[in-house]
Amino acid sequence: MNPREEKVKIITEEFIENDEDADMERQKKNPKVRRQPRKKQPPTAVRKEMVSEKSHLGNQQEPVQEEPKTCLLSMTARRGPQSLPPIPSTSRTGFAEFSMRGRMREKLQAARSKAESALLQEIPTPWPRRLRSPSKKELETEFGTEPGKEVESTQQEIDSQSHSRVKFHDSARKIKPKPQVPPGFPSAEEAYNFFTFNFDPEPEESEKKPKARHREGTNLEQEEGEEEPPAHGGGKETDEEELLNGDDAEDFLLGLDHMADDFVAVRPADYESIHDRLQMEREMLFIPSRQTVPTYKKLPENVQPRFLEDEGLYTGVRPEVSRTNQNIMENRLLVQDPERRWFGDDGRILALPNPIKPFPSRLPVETQELSIKAELETMYKKAVKYVHSSQHVIRSGDPPGNFQLDIDISGLLFTHHPCFSREHVLAAKLAQLYDQYLARHQRNKAKFLTEKLQALRNAVQTGLDPEKPHQSLDTIQKTINDYKSEIRQTRKLRDAEQEKDRTLLKTIIKVWKEMKSLREFQRFTNTPLKLVLRKEKGDQKADEEAYEAEIQVEISELLEEHTEEYTQKMEEYRTSLQQWKAWRKAQRAKKKKRKQAAEEHSYDETEEPHPEEDLVKPIPPEPTDRAVIEQEVRERATQSRRRPGEPMLVPELSLAGSITPNNQCPRAEVLRREDVKKRSLYLKVLFNNKEVSRTVTRPLGADFRVHFGQIFNLQIVNWPESLALQVYETIGHSGPTLLAEVFLPVPETTVVAGRAPIEEVEFSSNQHVTLDHEGVGSGVPFSFEADGSNQLILMTSGKVSHSVAWAIGENGIPLIPPLSQQNIGFRSALKRADAISSIGTSGLTDMKKLAKWAAESKLDPNDPNNAPLMQLISVATSGESYVPDFFRLEQLQQEFNFVSDQELSRSKRFRLLLLRSQEVPEFRNYKQIPVYDREIMEKVFQDYEKRLRDRNVIETKEHIDTHRAMVAKYLQQVRESVINRFLIAKQHFLLADMIVEEEVPNISILGLSLFKLAEQKRPLRPRRKGRKKVTAQNLSDGDIKLLVNIVRAYDIPVRKPAVSKFQQPSRSSRMFSEKHAASPSTHSPNHNADYPLGQVSVRPFVEVSFQRTVCHTTTAEGPNPSWNEELELPFRAPNGDYSTASLQSVKDVVFINIFDEVLHDVLEDDRERGSGIHTRIERHWLGCVKIPFSTIYFQARIDGTFKIDIPPVLLGYSKEQNMILERGFDSVRNLSEGSYITLFITIEPQLVPGESVQEKFESQEDEKLLQASEKFQAECAFKFPNRQCLTTVIDINGKTVFITRYLKPLNPPEELLNVYPNNLQATAELVARYVSLIPFLPDTVSFAGICDLWSTSDQFLDLLAGDEEEHAVLLCNYFLSLGKKAWLVMGNAIPEGPTAYVLTWEQGHYLIWNPCSGHFYGQFDTFCPLKNVGCLIGPDNIWFNIQRYDSPLRINFDVTKPKLWKSFFSRSLPYPGLSSVQPEELIYQRSDKAAAAELQDRIEKILKEKIMDWRPRHLTRWNRYCTSTLRHFLPLLEKSQGEDVEDDHRAELLKQLGDYRFSGFPLHMPYSEVKPLIDAVYSTGVHNIDVPNVEFALAVYIHPYPKNVLSVWIYVASLIRNR
Amino acid sequence: MAEVHVIGQIIGASGFSESSLFCKWGIHTGAAWKLLSGVQVGQTQVDTPQIGEMAYWSHPIDLHFATKGLQGWPRLHFQVWSQDSFGRCQLAGYGFCHVPSSPGTHQLACPTWRPLGSWQEQLARAFVGGGPQLLHGDTIYSGADRYRLHTAAGGTVHLEISLLLRHFDRYGVEC
Repeated sequence: MNPREEKVKIITEEFIENDEDADMERQKKNPKVRRQPRKKQPPTAVRKEMVSEKSHLGNQQEPVQEEPKTCLLSMTARRGPQSLPPIPSTSRTGFAEFSMRGRMREKLQAARSKAESALLQEIPTPWPRRLRSPSKKELETEFGTEPGKEVESTQQEIDSQSHSRVKFHDSARKIKPKPQVPPGFPSAEEAYNFFTFNFDPEPEESEKKPKARHREGTNLEQEEGEEEPPAHGGGKETDEEELLNGDDAEDFLLGLDHMADDFVAVRPADYESIHDRLQMEREMLFIPSRQTVPTYKKLPENVQPRFLEDEGLYTGVRPEVSRTNQNIMENRLLVQDPERRWFGDDGRILALPNPIKPFPSRLPVETQELSIKAELETMYKKAVKYVHSSQHVIRSGDPPGNFQLDIDISGLLFTHHPCFSREHVLAAKLAQLYDQYLARHQRNKAKFLTEKLQALRNAVQTGLDPEKPHQSLDTIQKTINDYKSEIRQTRKLRDAEQEKDRTLLKTIIKVWKEMKSLREFQRFTNTPLKLVLRKEKGDQKADEEAYEAEIQVEISELLEEHTEEYTQKMEEYRTSLQQWKAWRKAQRAKKKKRKQAAEEHSYDETEEPHPEEDLVKPIPPEPTDRAVIEQEVRERATQSRRRPGEPMLVPELSLAGSITPNNQCPRAEVLRREDVKKRSLYLKVLFNNKEVSRTVTRPLGADFRVHFGQIFNLQIVNWPESLALQVYETIGHSGPTLLAEVFLPVPETTVVAGRAPIEEVEFSSNQHVTLDHEGVGSGVPFSFEADGSNQLILMTSGKVSHSVAWAIGENGIPLIPPLSQQNIGFRSALKRADAISSIGTSGLTDMKKLAKWAAESKLDPNDPNNAPLMQLISVATSGESYVPDFFRLEQLQQEFNFVSDQELSRSKRFRLLLLRSQEVPEFRNYKQIPVYDREIMEKVFQDYEKRLRDRNVIETKEHIDTHRAMVAKYLQQVRESVINRFLIAKQHFLLADMIVEEEVPNISILGLSLFKLAEQKRPLRPRRKGRKKVTAQNLSDGDIKLLVNIVRAYDIPVRKPAVSKFQQPSRSSRMFSEKHAASPSTHSPNHNADYPLGQVSVRPFVEVSFQRTVCHTTTAEGPNPSWNEELELPFRAPNGDYSTASLQSVKDVVFINIFDEVLHDVLEDDRERGSGIHTRIERHWLGCVKIPFSTIYFQARIDGTFKIDIPPVLLGYSKEQNMILERGFDSVRNLSEGSYITLFITIEPQLVPGESVQEKFESQEDEKLLQASEKFQAECAFKFPNRQCLTTVIDINGKTVFITRYLKPLNPPEELLNVYPNNLQATAELVARYVSLIPFLPDTVSFAGICDLWSTSDQFLDLLAGDEEEHAVLLCNYFLSLGKKAWLVMGNAIPEGPTAYVLTWEQGHYLIWNPCSGHFYGQFDTFCPLKNVGCLIGPDNIWFNIQRYDSPLRINFDVTKPKLWKSFFSRSLPYPGLSSVQPEELIYQRSDKAAAAELQDRIEKILKEKIMDWRPRHLTRWNRYCTSTLRHFLPLLEKSQGEDVEDDHRAELLKQLGDYRFSGFPLHMPYSEVKPLIDAVYSTGVHNIDVPNVEFALAVYIHPYPKNVLSVWIYVASLIRNR
Repeated sequence: MAEVHVIGQIIGASGFSESSLFCKWGIHTGAAWKLLSGVQVGQTQVDTPQIGEMAYWSHPIDLHFATKGLQGWPRLHFQVWSQDSFGRCQLAGYGFCHVPSSPGTHQLACPTWRPLGSWQEQLARAFVGGGPQLLHGDTIYSGADRYRLHTAAGGTVHLEISLLLRHFDRYGVEC
């Protein structure tokens, strides 16, 4: 029902009679009105008429209002008075036009009257006057509808409705006694009309009418009001005029064009007395009483009010409404809504939404204005110049801005200080206890629990009430039981709380007493503390009663519990008793039987066996004694509760006491006070471990309080990682001492200035202070007792009160860094991911369990805190989840979808397309995706899915060793996160990437080229032309070739004759060894004579293998061959992706292997020697050079002489001793023995290597230092653009770090130091070897396309992978720790390019160490791979090479000469003492020998399998004997680092495997993965021997070094049995 | 499962009072749409017309969508910016148009507008550059009641877009 209608109903009910009266009145008056001349008409009459008409019409109004044609209605309404003018007037108006209508009307009238009479008959109304009302309406309608009553039905409807209304009125009248209403007052309807009628369609009139009436009311001159209507003109107005003066109606109707003044009537002002009006108002208004409504009226019959709050349920806070307003509302509602729906169980009006209602009844109304504004808000932005820089700001998305953190330090309070006197100690304790007391008092848990207990008890009582039959007994019982258990628990809690309260109070009093006695004893007071105990005496009798009642209740409850228990026990007892009885019976029966049996066979059974245990007769439980319980309860009560008569003690701590002045104190105390005065304190504010500000120094007060009251505004850029305060104390004029450091929590983003509460953080310091005066000191035992017992040790401690909050900017936006900044660096990012996952697993594991718990724990369903849980419960219990938590953004989307989401995601084509566009490695550059799903094989995704699945599974198959597998996974993760971070950078293109443009020749170039024309042609001196660089975009497979130009080699090992004890001249297969062999002792002269094919010592050729493509040169001769051949190898990028990023991450290595081609005579028969040559070509691997493709890619070309990696033992070969060159530095050892090869490698066409991304990284370095380093670098680059200068590097967290921070003496593993305790040089070599055993992994491979990241040495050792810098840093740190002078050399080397070496100063000379190979070179070694030196870096300075030359051969390494070396830190910028980023100490785990052995076996197995795989067409036999020999030999090699064992080894081998021709060698590598090992074995080509009777031997040895660094030795050999 | 290829170019802009224009563009789709490949947002180069008034960008658009419904048909939105002689950028107009729904090549012209701002802002814009910008860029294409916004007309962005539709007939969509 429409509320308005209701209202109407209420009003109409009350004032219906008025209607009647008015009608009557009008009947009487109307003729009079007509008779009277206009001027004499009393205003009241008109008024009354109008009123009556109106009031009557009110009836009609209701239904009509539902019609659209309100205007019509208002017409009729206004035309009310017209009802009485004679009919002729109307007919005269225009009979012709209306004759038809008239007839219709008559008919209608007839029908209506009929209907009405029928109606009247139905209603036996006691009010005959009422009868007139319909009839009058007929009249009224007759006239009223004149202008616009086109539709009969409308009228009919109106009428019928009004009739029904009439009926209603009548019936209403029947019920209600008629109030006496004096005639002439506005009826309820009229009043209602007045307020509610909608005058919209005719605004002028509607406005006027109320106005006019208003004037009447206020007794003003009415003339204007009357005159207005004609001024407005129009028929309607005239109509109105007509009603106002009935006499003129005819004239008016005759001529519509009357002048305005014709209609003017001069009438006296209408007047209505105030009294009348008030009376009237009283009649039509309902004024609810202000009296409080008694509760019983508001509740259904026989229902007691129920207070949820008392039952312990949550009730919200009612909005503040004044009592009178509530009363009025309640009164009104009582009348209006008899169903009492608006009253709650507690008899109060409902003021809060039902908290357990799942959906809100109405949505919160948002202020429309604001939201729209926010959406469409525009902001004036200044035209800003676009900062174009080549540096990508990493977080370009973040708003650049300063953020502000406000730290308010209000003060400091010591809870203990060395200068505390004994009294102070007590005072502090007292204050603390008092604080505790206050806190407890505020919470008042005991009271709360008591009340809860009370409520629960009441609930039990009501639950037991038999008057509530509507609940099933079961549930009642259950709830009661629940309540009871709850009562038990609550009681326990309450008792505990009360006891705590009591003990606290006792302690306070005790401490106070102690303090008092102390004050008396020492005869002075130090603290103003004063404790006053206020006694509050209650009514003793009532108190006692309550106490007793409580005890009684408790006793009865306990008794009940006990009886319950007792009955339960009884029950148990009975059952057990019965069992026992049954057992007894059985026993007896058995006994009897046995007795009988015993009588019969007494001889064979001396003792009866007891197969069953005797059941013990159960003991009946004792019934509980009331007295005992009572005693218990009373005892407890006296302990924990206040005794009934006892006054309530309220302690009050005040500072009102007086302190004894100094002159009355003993000397020691005066000293103490003076000492306190000397002390002052200040606080430092540390932000991210940097001091940002400090407070002023304030003296310590006598009360050990320091007030600062300072606010520090920290303008910050980064998300704060730590915030700390340091408390410094100064004594007298001495320097400040750090007392303690307090870490403040970084505020939540919601905490903004002005809202942050002052918080207190406690601090304590562990300093020990003993003072020679009254002060008790800190960390020193002292005692209050005279005998020194009961010692106390107190540490300096205190509290800092502060508040930290984010500042608010000018526009009200809090200056908080975006959350994205909160996690910086990979590690934290990884950590965050972990945290999320951990939350996910712990929090949301078992919904069912959670729901179960929630159901069991009986949560208060009304408490909004529990709302989500309650929802969960309802979902869990109902079984179906109705989730209202969504808001559908696109309605009807689901309904109009073509396909479901699942189907869309099932589409293989789309998936493939998506994966390709996401550049997932498996699908990057995937070409030609099929058009139809059916053409895509499922197996395309297999690899990818497998990878996704295994993302978190550490796969040990590939890596074998779990640690390395984890490292690989970690690297993978780091790499992914790095790549994600640099996505922006990847999208940044240079102009050259986009535009390939030939340079337009300008005049100078033209001139030069013209000049060139005239130049002499010199064909013998060709000039190198710059090649055109190709960007990687438009390349495809086969476009790129690797050109390897092999020029010559030096010092290739030469063959030695195979020596054998069993050597026989008649041997058919011979080795073409020659006479240069170094060991003539084993050389048999007759053997030499057997060489028919030439006198060559060695016939080497070079084989280059790259990406499994193999090319080789022709065979040259001699140990210093010259080939000068160019080999061309095709290059294929992975997945055909020739993008820069992809090329950078190519991990392939160019293997350059040097082989010796050996010709074997395979002639079976000596007789044929004359007629033919049958030889087999065998190749023996001599050594190799490995160059990673990435080096070639970045260097564009590699040109130089490289040392060939020759195995330490090369059976059958030796170096030509006479060929060894004596080179510069020989004092330690000939450093450069070995073989060398000269190479030139390049890529055709030349590729443009990706620019390493130059970025600005955030840094924690000092801004000055950063500026200085930039300046230094710029200066250096200006002078020597080609020399490498490095001042700052990026650590693994992506932060810029000054480079010297990486250098710091670090301890090498103890194990290595102990090997040669006296030989420093040997130790250094060993250490270098250890470092070189850590696998090499270039940064460019691991972090494709991005800059070099430097990891610290511990990270490096943890990762077990790194590039030159990491190796060099570690080696340098080791050398520093060994006491050497060592520097990091940044320069260019071959083949690495820009790299880092280590330079050490030995006695009188410099050594250059290659950290990756462990080799070292003298400064003047021509074969030193380091070619240029850019700068030297020491632990405390950087020196840039400003000499003319940069080759190590030609420069002076003396950094003290400022003319040769430009140092970074100098007198103008002294070294600030930068702390190191390296750890204090490296911790090495002992190597795990067992794991190494296991790994060794597995690698051996894998390699053997591989060799067999590589020889698919041949049988591979393994010579176990040889293998075991080799295995035995490898550890020796490791021990000697592959030196000086060759001869012994050979001799031994020969002894054991005499009749075999043997070729083989040990390979030595650091261990990272299995694949490089396999590749290395493959590249030696041992498996290529296809002599039918060949046998193989393979041994693997792994030597574990600390920190899981593994040195791998692989000995491969082939054996051919001599026949 | 229907697919839409949007291939074409942003040809340029005409009718802007400023010269040296560039354009930030984006394609917004409903939830039913899935981008299979291509870049959804981009920015053109700055074009300073030497001849005539029209700024030519010829910026390629190449997108491949999969969709499971017609709702949220892709719409293009633009922000035309102008760069003044100091290299400062300011907004010249916002524009929005739907990607055509019939296959084939379409020539589109997308008129643009920019917020007018208060008279102070207009004054400032006339003298020192800059100007009011929408704080929320999605207002360009979202149907929020924009009647509160006072705007001035900008120029027109011209596009040439070819559309390839696939499998729409399978779901009863004629095109």
